[in-house]
Amino acid sequence: MLVTPPPMLLGAALLFWGWQTGFLFLALPLAILIEAARALTWRLELSATDFHRLTDLCTLLIVVSGVYLFSTTGTARAADGPRAMTLLFQWLPFLLFPLVASQLYSTAGKVPLTAFFWALRRQAARAPETRPGQVDLGYLYFALCVLSASAANRRTLEFYAGLCVLAGWALWPWRSRRFSPLWWVPMLGIAAVAGYGGHVVLHRFQQVAEQMVFDYIFSIVRGDVDPFRVTTAIGHLGRLKLSDRTVLRVEPREGLHLPFLLREASYDVYNSPAWLASGAAFTAVQPEADGETWRFGTGRSPVERVTVSAYLNRGRGVLTLPGGAFEIDRLAVVGVHRNRLGAVKVEEGLGLVTYTALFAPDGPLDGPPIEPDLRVPPREAALLSRVAMDLSLAGGSPAEKVETVAAYFRRNFKYSTWKGERPRKESALEEFLLNSRAGHCEYFATATTLLLRAAGVPARYAVGFSVQEWSRLEQRYIVRARHAHSWTLAYVHGAWRDVDTTPPVWAETEQSESSLLEPVHDLWSFATFLFSRWRWSEDDSGIGRHAAWLLIPLVLLLVWRLYSRRRVGREAAASRATVAVARPGQDSEFYLIADRLRTAGLGRQAAEPPSEWIERIHARELGPILDLHYRYRFDPAGLDPTERSLLRAQSEAWLRDHAQEAQAVGGRGVG
Amino acid sequence: MKRLLFRWFNSFSAFQYRLDRRCTRAGSLALGVLGAAVVIGLDTNRTVGYQVLTLVLALVVLSAASSLVFRGRFAARRILPRFASVGVPVTYRVAIANQTGRRQAGLVLLDELSDPRPSFEEFVTAREPGEERRNWFDRQVGYPRWAWLVSQKRGAVIPPRPLPPLDPVVETEVMVEITPLRRGHLRFKGVTIARPDPLGLIQALKSIALPQSLLVLPKRYPMAEIRIAGTRKYQPGGVALASTVGDSEEFVSLRDYRAGDPMRRIHWKSFARVGRPVVKEYLDEFFVRHALVLDTFTTHLGDPVFEEAVSVAASIAISMQTQESLLDLMFVGPEAYCFTAGRGVAHTEQLLEVLACVGPCQDKPFRSLHHAVIDRHDLLSGCVCVLLAWDDARQELVRHLEALGTPTRVFVVGERATLDRLPGDVHGLEVGRIAEGLACL
Repeated sequence: MLVTPPPMLLGAALLFWGWQTGFLFLALPLAILIEAARALTWRLELSATDFHRLTDLCTLLIVVSGVYLFSTTGTARAADGPRAMTLLFQWLPFLLFPLVASQLYSTAGKVPLTAFFWALRRQAARAPETRPGQVDLGYLYFALCVLSASAANRRTLEFYAGLCVLAGWALWPWRSRRFSPLWWVPMLGIAAVAGYGGHVVLHRFQQVAEQMVFDYIFSIVRGDVDPFRVTTAIGHLGRLKLSDRTVLRVEPREGLHLPFLLREASYDVYNSPAWLASGAAFTAVQPEADGETWRFGTGRSPVERVTVSAYLNRGRGVLTLPGGAFEIDRLAVVGVHRNRLGAVKVEEGLGLVTYTALFAPDGPLDGPPIEPDLRVPPREAALLSRVAMDLSLAGGSPAEKVETVAAYFRRNFKYSTWKGERPRKESALEEFLLNSRAGHCEYFATATTLLLRAAGVPARYAVGFSVQEWSRLEQRYIVRARHAHSWTLAYVHGAWRDVDTTPPVWAETEQSESSLLEPVHDLWSFATFLFSRWRWSEDDSGIGRHAAWLLIPLVLLLVWRLYSRRRVGREAAASRATVAVARPGQDSEFYLIADRLRTAGLGRQAAEPPSEWIERIHARELGPILDLHYRYRFDPAGLDPTERSLLRAQSEAWLRDHAQEAQAVGGRGVG
Repeated sequence: MKRLLFRWFNSFSAFQYRLDRRCTRAGSLALGVLGAAVVIGLDTNRTVGYQVLTLVLALVVLSAASSLVFRGRFAARRILPRFASVGVPVTYRVAIANQTGRRQAGLVLLDELSDPRPSFEEFVTAREPGEERRNWFDRQVGYPRWAWLVSQKRGAVIPPRPLPPLDPVVETEVMVEITPLRRGHLRFKGVTIARPDPLGLIQALKSIALPQSLLVLPKRYPMAEIRIAGTRKYQPGGVALASTVGDSEEFVSLRDYRAGDPMRRIHWKSFARVGRPVVKEYLDEFFVRHALVLDTFTTHLGDPVFEEAVSVAASIAISMQTQESLLDLMFVGPEAYCFTAGRGVAHTEQLLEVLACVGPCQDKPFRSLHHAVIDRHDLLSGCVCVLLAWDDARQELVRHLEALGTPTRVFVVGERATLDRLPGDVHGLEVGRIAEGLACL
């Protein structure tokens, strides 16, 4: 049964791979090496153990290359380049070449299956007498070259044409001889045309499906905030519970006033229970010359700064920024967009970004107030007018109104994550303001925003995080998912101010419900953060840049291992192909005697013990030589030098004595 | 859970069997590439692996479509040898008759054995050799055990045999070589004529039912003849078929009937003449008669120790000279059995046939074999015991035989660890090194 690829096929596949992946300079010598095996007569006598080592070495090469690629492809990925896994797959023909070349240049001509499975190795070690199965890697390597070439993602007609030619070349030796090639050629042609049509349809189908499904599903599963809409838990019954997961890390800065609010987005239209952003289309922000500084406007003193580390989902997301931010430094992303409500989203960034935000109380991030910032929803208007009247909010400056509202909530309301049943006729906000007077931050923020609007102060609903927990482990502030918060932005004295009316006890309340395993989670989270920071680091001094050097000793080790193998001629290789492992005593001179006797027609029969054989042919003088041969061949202790010399001398003496006789016997034949 | 796994393995094996029959080696490789291309080309934006996928898929579909039509009509005969032996290649002939009017070329013969899949009970109770050394997952899931059981029950692997061109209405014989892997009956199901498609990926099949069976004798090891001390023993009534060799039943005299004499020994003419029953008296017969006692008491199906013990018993059976003596093969299966060979009663080959089919005894205690042997001890000149362990029950049997004066040779087959503390006169035979052990005798 045919298992070896036809001449030049592997070389052609390697060249095809090199052409597609851009490694042609590498593929050319590899192809020459592979095809030269057909012309060269010498072979390496590689044992099963040698193949095991080669396989282990290839595995190590793959692992090291994987680590190297994984750690160095951050930038490429940001620019929508191939992933580390795809690049590693492209490298595979090169990384596995030592194994394939060893097979081609070995006397065995195949690789034992034990090289690929530890279980089989253990089994072979337990039962050395069983011969493990062998595999010819030729066609498998061919398939690998073709598939790796496809990972280069070169969408040209040449790729498909080359693919069809290689497929036809590989299939030609397997064709059924029952049919004329006039059948084979049209069938291959039909398959090529059908395959072409099929892949065009398949690609189109994926595009359509992506268009229809991807955005919808992605919007559900991703964790980023939607800058156009946020649905609050206002009106939900039961307990609100958020996770302990660390989502942000804030570098310490002196004088950070806790709790410090970091905003993701703000909204201006309330439609219970959701807040919406109207007229909040994003516009691109142009980077400064260094490509990492993004300025929204000129800041005013006093300038403050805070450094935030955050994960981005697939390189995209909405940044968390302090109110009044006017500049972001060291933000390595391709695109930044902002809207009039102060939301800033980034595109094509790394998995983890660390940026410094400069901010001032009157920063230009948020646009000036417009009509929706004063609009109160009709359903809540009567209620809010009544409360505003009770608080006498008609007169006074905006600052005084803000203070009055804040004091109102501070004195009369308490924090609660629990909400019970409410009368059907009441809205959730009405129940909060008039009856329960308890709720979570979304109630406070929504009520404050709408109450200020009822009092004529432009206000917006803001969501983000409250920085309040110092991590002794990390020596920086950490922000957990449960620190997600909402508050109000009030336009006072020409600038947007954060107004947080939620009672400060909310942080302690949330803290009291944290998991017992929180320290363990924190440790894991910190380790993940350190790894991610190293992985996504843009710093050239990282270990990833030097990982390639690790390959050099590995390759040298491989070369040394192969060079140290004994070379044998192809003829000898053919005769020894069935015996993979050299046996002790194979160079015994007794075999010369056996050859001489066989030439003379007195050869040993199959399965006949040599002792019975010399009895049968009446050659008892060979007894002492046979005894020494047996010991040389089978005794684990072997022969000492004297005995070895004796075996050689006695054998040569016998051969000398019986040279003419044997020839004579051989000449007349033995009956 | 076990039953669910069993069903899954069962279905998977059936699927694999059908796939192997349908696909040539190129076809199997193409399916492998197809699977890899599905993984690589799943995202058509990231790689062009999907182009490989669609091309290979088109090739396979086209091949499959062209293998739907195969207008061959064939008849087949299989000419099997009488026996085969484990591990020894055996060649048999298959005669294929082309019953169509046109020459059929480029065909492949697939000779098929019966379904090797084990039953649920076998799957649950069997233990693969070395299973205790496997990891937890393999032990719990049991796929290695399943694969081992299938290979054990298959008995042999028959490679596809390319057929020469078959002329119309002519019977063509081809030789098929197989190497049996286990003893017992190798059951053939039928032959299938396969026709690869023009691309050489998928085969069209024509199956012909041809159930047959080939008895595979146990593996035998070369060994010297075992000599056991002992004397000829009186055999009451002689051995019916042993009259042509050695001591035969010889008429001595007539005497009066005594209670207990068999009816067939009554001499009717003298009875009529003297008026009282008279019986014929014969010379007593004394033979050398040995027993070969095989221990079949093992808990696991396919226990390698048991298989080696059967091989040792077979090796001993053929090494003993039975022209002048009798050899009783004794073991316990569903009941206690004793088969006798020698002195023309039966040939050793017949003992091998019995040994080819002997199975483990899992529902009786070792005591039943003990009783069966002791019941016949007065007939036996000597006894060779092939045992699977050296525990109290087995030691008691040997002590009992020695106490009764029956010369006994004992062989214990087992793993190395179980043979360390055997007495000096008991031969330990290590599994995997049986040939060495027997050669040292």
